[in-house]
Amino acid sequence: MNKSLLPFFSGSALVICFLVTCTSAVSAADPKPKDILLTTMQQELQRATTELGKLTPAPYFLSYEVRDQSYAIAVGGDGVLLSSMRARRRAADVITHVGTPALDNSHENSRSSAIHSGALATDDDPDAIARELWRMTYQGYRNAAKAYLNVKTQTAVNAKEEDTSADFSQEKSQVHLDYKEPVSPPDQAKLESLARKYSGRFRNYPFIYSSAVVISCEAGQTHLVNSEGTRVVYPSQLVRLAIQAQTRADDGMDLVRVETFQADSIAKLPGEKEISARIDKMASDLKALRAATVAEPFDGPALLSGRAAAVFFHEVLGHRLEGQRQRGETEGRTFAKKIGEKVLPDFLTVSDDPTQRNLGATDLSGWYEYDDEGLPAQRVDLIQNGVLSNYLLARMPIAGFSHSNGHGRSQPGFIPVGRQGNLIVSSSRTVADSELRKQLLEEVKKKNKPYGLYFEDIEGGFTLTQSRAPQAFQILPVMVWKVYADGRPDELVRGVDIVGTPLTAMNGILMTGDTTAVFDGVCGAESGSVPVAAVAPAMLFSEIEVQKRGHMLNRPPILPPPDLPAAGRGQGGQQ
Amino acid sequence: MIRRLETLVVVILCLFACRLMGEDALPKEASDDPVLKAMVTEMQRSKAQLKLDGVSVPYYIDYRITDTDAYLYQAAFGATTAELRNHMRYIRVVVRVGDYKQDSFYQNGQGLVEVAGVDDDEFALRHKLWLATDQAYKAAAEALTAKNAALKQLTIEYPIDDFAHAEPVLLVKPLVKLDPAASSWSKVLKEVSAFYRNDPQLESVDTDLSFTATNRYFVNSEGTVVRTGGSIYLLLAAASTQAGDGMRLDRSADFAVGDFKDLPTPAKFKQHAEEVMGALRQLRDAPVVEEEYRGPILFQGDAATHVVADLIGENVLGRKPALGQPLRTRGAFASSYLSRVLPDFLSVDDDPTISAWQGEQLLGNYEVDDDGVKATKVSLIDKGKLVGYDLGREPIRDFPASNGHGRAPYPMNPSGPNLGNLILRSSEPLSEDALKAKLMELCKQRDLAYCYVVKTTGPKNSPRLLYKVFVNDGHEQLVRGATFGDLDTRTMRNDIVAAGEKASIENLPTAIPHSIVSPSLLFDELEVKRVDQNKEKLPEYPAPQLGK
Repeated sequence: MNKSLLPFFSGSALVICFLVTCTSAVSAADPKPKDILLTTMQQELQRATTELGKLTPAPYFLSYEVRDQSYAIAVGGDGVLLSSMRARRRAADVITHVGTPALDNSHENSRSSAIHSGALATDDDPDAIARELWRMTYQGYRNAAKAYLNVKTQTAVNAKEEDTSADFSQEKSQVHLDYKEPVSPPDQAKLESLARKYSGRFRNYPFIYSSAVVISCEAGQTHLVNSEGTRVVYPSQLVRLAIQAQTRADDGMDLVRVETFQADSIAKLPGEKEISARIDKMASDLKALRAATVAEPFDGPALLSGRAAAVFFHEVLGHRLEGQRQRGETEGRTFAKKIGEKVLPDFLTVSDDPTQRNLGATDLSGWYEYDDEGLPAQRVDLIQNGVLSNYLLARMPIAGFSHSNGHGRSQPGFIPVGRQGNLIVSSSRTVADSELRKQLLEEVKKKNKPYGLYFEDIEGGFTLTQSRAPQAFQILPVMVWKVYADGRPDELVRGVDIVGTPLTAMNGILMTGDTTAVFDGVCGAESGSVPVAAVAPAMLFSEIEVQKRGHMLNRPPILPPPDLPAAGRGQGGQQ
Repeated sequence: MIRRLETLVVVILCLFACRLMGEDALPKEASDDPVLKAMVTEMQRSKAQLKLDGVSVPYYIDYRITDTDAYLYQAAFGATTAELRNHMRYIRVVVRVGDYKQDSFYQNGQGLVEVAGVDDDEFALRHKLWLATDQAYKAAAEALTAKNAALKQLTIEYPIDDFAHAEPVLLVKPLVKLDPAASSWSKVLKEVSAFYRNDPQLESVDTDLSFTATNRYFVNSEGTVVRTGGSIYLLLAAASTQAGDGMRLDRSADFAVGDFKDLPTPAKFKQHAEEVMGALRQLRDAPVVEEEYRGPILFQGDAATHVVADLIGENVLGRKPALGQPLRTRGAFASSYLSRVLPDFLSVDDDPTISAWQGEQLLGNYEVDDDGVKATKVSLIDKGKLVGYDLGREPIRDFPASNGHGRAPYPMNPSGPNLGNLILRSSEPLSEDALKAKLMELCKQRDLAYCYVVKTTGPKNSPRLLYKVFVNDGHEQLVRGATFGDLDTRTMRNDIVAAGEKASIENLPTAIPHSIVSPSLLFDELEVKRVDQNKEKLPEYPAPQLGK
């Protein structure tokens, strides 16, 4: 499986397509809101448990998760509105486990037989909701029952698997009912005006060929009930502003800068002044990158900024500590059987803490109260002083770990697996951030290299964890500087990717800075896209390997851009 | 309420035979519209200046902008499941290098698509057009090289031009617009989808509404400047059930019109939906077709239009075969030019220039196609003989020019030959009574106890309402679980023995809105057999009880 972390979309084609429902205003007249959805889900689950329980094979576990999501999205480009949409949907996932926890239909490759998904009525109409849940339940049961029979035969026929853990963990039931009347996302016209305003600022920079500003607000509520008695209801809100600008160097290399901001309300986003300054910085970075030379392959000392180190850890370490990667013949299992062993330098400690809502003034996007299996979020200490102690676990047990630790996450339509929330790297060997640069130069001299590299910012990355693929990763840096040993000024370079294999790369970390940085993003893997954050200090590596990035050889446009009418310029920019 | 803007205003319609491009002044109609203005301005700039060292200048450029405002709504079981309003604008740019004989329209040289702003901002549109033109030109240069290389490997039996010459057209029509009051129909759809309350055995009742207003802008380097608009208003109700033996049964009712005022009244829509669901109840109780049957069958209503659409409509499109292939077109009529493809009492035309047939509106009406070519009536099959094809600007053997049928399914797709209003007529029409009498007569001649009438079909011409008609007393019996065994172009050519006089009209609000017009068709021999399909189990447990 190929996992990637991107702060924003990739590529230039931008088509946003949801078939979902517009949010209608909610009457505030009823002082005691009734949770009709919950009542209906419980009744229907009860009926299904009883009725399907009479069959052979019978399900031993059923759950309904319904995510009611209202969206408002506006996309701007070049100062005009590209798309504007307001929608609502109720995505339902029915999970069915047939057999016994020790061996059930979700075994190994037939995990997907445990989920059946669809959309429910967005009106609080109990009959319509019940009817659709009933249809999804018996169809889900059919898939699960069929898969279970196959699993039983395969297990009998195949050799014994290495990890003989059960297929589904036993957990305590949870009750947490925090029902709120659904909230409508903010005024659409306001979003549209922000999308126009911020994207219009790029009109000041004719060398930027295309830009897009996406502002999306999501107000939602999750309902989860299961046959063990769990009833969990909680609201969620997320506002995200993503800005992308693109240009092209003379040799045809496309250059992209992305900035994202997120908060739980529009009011908490940075103000216009700060965002405008960031847009101007994106433009000046791109201008500098156009003029920058293409870096050569390099293997030597490097300094990663906090943000770059955070993405590095998310890709290189975080994904490999997901529980399901330790089990199954198709997984690379880099860290399986390494509990109690030293996997990182001993001054580094890594945890994943979805219960942490923010770090200073920055919201952490990997925050959640309950995971998508209805279990409370937990802080998990993954690596303590360099020694591996735990994994990110959903309800799929692995050798030595028979319970979830609240990291079963998914996007609607996907079966939850162990995923990262807020991955936090801390260090006991720190120097002042300003000192790190000196240390880098010393390391460069020690290694007798002409320069080291400073990775200021990254776009994202991806990693391969499957056994048939090389256990490699690739990080996509965007602002990379050569730091010369002879005292020449730093030189911006472009077109390199950090590559390598995880254990080697991470054991070359020498020391870290004394402040931490946050990378908020969206992570895609087999259970879909989930919001995550990664937190890390800047890090000095004794050795980082970079390779040249392949790129298209498209020339810059032949004709100059069309003339901008004088009245069309944005406010306060510079060329 | 949804309405065409200013439909009463006299339509500005000018068809210029002169070459407009090259004149510096914008056509007046274009200068009032920021979208057309941006397109024409950027076209002039590209035409005058676009040139890459070592690559020939483009000989042809076109810009197509499709502006679609859509309102979609879905309900099931009496409640909303989805609702969406979306306004999008797409740009499609084609740059051709080479010449009309051999050009770059190949692989990546077939055009470039971008999402454009919905605001009427001339600068932002020009900016998008500028970049798209640049990329399309570079892709065209590469595509021409690739095409030339591919051609070197092939022997070309019939050299055919890549692109047809066409007269420039100037046509600026009023813009069409979707009125927010369109959403008033959501209530009706919700009510219709609540019909399951009257019949607990209905497994699903889904209603869909799709209202779209599309404005199309087209400018090319030959001087064509076109702005046209059209709307589609579609209402759909679909239901499914399972018979006692598990056989799945589906029915649907739809209305597709081009004008909001032509939608049925809510009462009429409900009544129609109720009839369709009522028929589903009858189907559930109907006997299953057990024995194979070979004999006469009468196709009525949409059963006739479906068979015409699938077996004729698909095959009269003059689609150029892949590079180097010697056939004239693709499809079943690829080598049937001037051969008999229908009985000699049947003729088929495609006439997008008409907007109604026997008083009923046709969705396949348009004035100018997506290549900016004026629509014309095309005679396709004359007295049973194939005499023409629908054509866009890509010529095929013996057909060097477009006949105004180049249409694009979606804003991102290239245009190609497609249907407008496909009309099948008989030179010896029979009244419905006479047709039925002829059916019975054929049955008697063959000593059959019954024959079949099919009144409506689903996907792939699968019969949905199929009746046995008994020869002794003429009574009809609904049956289910049948399929037609050998329905193909050969059957159409050899086995149709009569056609009716009153036409059924089917308006198809697909990506390319078109209409099929056909009378009832009497086949003298066709196979009816039991459908080869698994029967699903009935649900493992009963549906939830309904509240009040």
